[in-house]
Amino acid sequence: MTTTLLAAEELNPLAPHPIEIIVGLIAFLLLFWLLKRTVFPQFEKVYAERVDKIEGGIKRAEEAQEEAYVLRQQYEDQLAGLRAEAARIRDDARAEGQQIKAELRAQAEEEAERIRQRGHEQIAAAREQVARQLRAEIGGISVQLAERLVGRELSAETRRTETIDAFLAELDELAERRETAPAAGGAS
Amino acid sequence: MNISGNLNVIGYGLSAIGPGIGVGIVFAAFINGVARQPEARGQLQGIAFIGFALSEALAILGLVLAFAL
Amino acid sequence: MTTMATAPAPGFEPPGVADFNLPPVFGEITKPVLLLVFSAIIIFAAFRFTVRKPALVPSKSQFLGESFHGIVRNSIARDMIGAEYLKFVPFLTALFAFLLVNNLFGIIPLIQFPTFSHPGVPYALAGLVWLLYNYLGIKRHGFAGYMRISTWPPDVPWWVRIILTPIEFISNILLRPVTLSLRLFGNMFAGHLLLLLFILGGQYMLFTADSITLKVMAPFAFAMGIVFTFFEAFVQVVQAYIFVMLTASYIGTSLVDHH
Repeated sequence: MTTTLLAAEELNPLAPHPIEIIVGLIAFLLLFWLLKRTVFPQFEKVYAERVDKIEGGIKRAEEAQEEAYVLRQQYEDQLAGLRAEAARIRDDARAEGQQIKAELRAQAEEEAERIRQRGHEQIAAAREQVARQLRAEIGGISVQLAERLVGRELSAETRRTETIDAFLAELDELAERRETAPAAGGAS
Repeated sequence: MNISGNLNVIGYGLSAIGPGIGVGIVFAAFINGVARQPEARGQLQGIAFIGFALSEALAILGLVLAFAL
Repeated sequence: MTTMATAPAPGFEPPGVADFNLPPVFGEITKPVLLLVFSAIIIFAAFRFTVRKPALVPSKSQFLGESFHGIVRNSIARDMIGAEYLKFVPFLTALFAFLLVNNLFGIIPLIQFPTFSHPGVPYALAGLVWLLYNYLGIKRHGFAGYMRISTWPPDVPWWVRIILTPIEFISNILLRPVTLSLRLFGNMFAGHLLLLLFILGGQYMLFTADSITLKVMAPFAFAMGIVFTFFEAFVQVVQAYIFVMLTASYIGTSLVDHH
């Protein structure tokens, strides 16, 4: 072939050179085989890693978001529960307070009623005592008055009034004396 | 003036006219199609290149015959 | 091939097929053979460099490697093949890198020869692709099922089938590898010829030609050469892309389920 190459000025350009075919095929197939064995798997590995990284990242982010959502839901549920409980406790406290107030008021009213009752009773007892005393004294006083009236002449009108006035003044004195006496001794 | 040369080359020139027009039409249609429907590009590309190869085959046959005869 | 005789100076000999017949460097080894080996080595070295420390957050070199791999993986293999695309990503990526580097050799200074302007390796690669997609199709659908898929389009009246089925058979089974390889070869060949034409033409105009007008015009020829170098860079990338794209689409049609 070399000789024809050298010799043939007009070698047909469509005619192949066998050595080129052989060398070209070997070079290409060797190149293909080496690249396929060594280089392209690396590229594919990097692509796959990159895809995994990106998609994995997205997936992880989604998972985290999901988790955060669940957690938030939980917290909100909890918070709502707590709030309801707090409201319930407040209501209870208010109700209890009201009850306590009512009880206290009832108690106080009862006490007041009792005190009033006792006051009434005391007053009634004092009146009875006074009345009894008065009744006893009035008898005596009436007898004295009558004695005095009888002892003197009941003739003159003026005398009579004098006598009565004097008696009454005496009575007043008596009353004053009695007022001071029970005030000193009769607190009970 | 004296002109000498290979008449086959003129034949090749003639044979290249038709395929030239044909290839132009193929790619014009391809560009039109992609402009109207850009998402069909992948599909159209395959068809366009097969059509291009088919019409250019004639020009290549002309080239072969220009050297071979 | 064409010679235009202009009177005193030697006529301009335009670049032709003969420019692609390179002398061997030593023995049977020619420049394209060295370039093939060299391309495989630098591709492997570059990829190894990008994954020397694979990390989740890529370094600059790792990012470059990943981008290259990702383009083939996501915008070629996934769109064209469908569900099972991952199995074919290594083959397609290696193929794309191999084609791209060898094509770009056409404009890299000091190398400046696109390996695939010699048709041998394109034939071999297209043959490899042909074996691959036919094997996959027959393995997936059985021989009859695969033939039905590739030559029996559904919902076609019988009188159309008489014409259509042979055409489908020829274009899907016979012509695919031919066009696949020759498209690549033709583009690289013509592109290299174009650059040769501008650069050698400029050189001729500047140094050999008598006419002052031609000497003045020479920088324009070089400028056009530079412009077409950029154009060639674009064409070389596109051709590598189309080769891989069509490979993926052939694999995809072999694996597709029509039911």
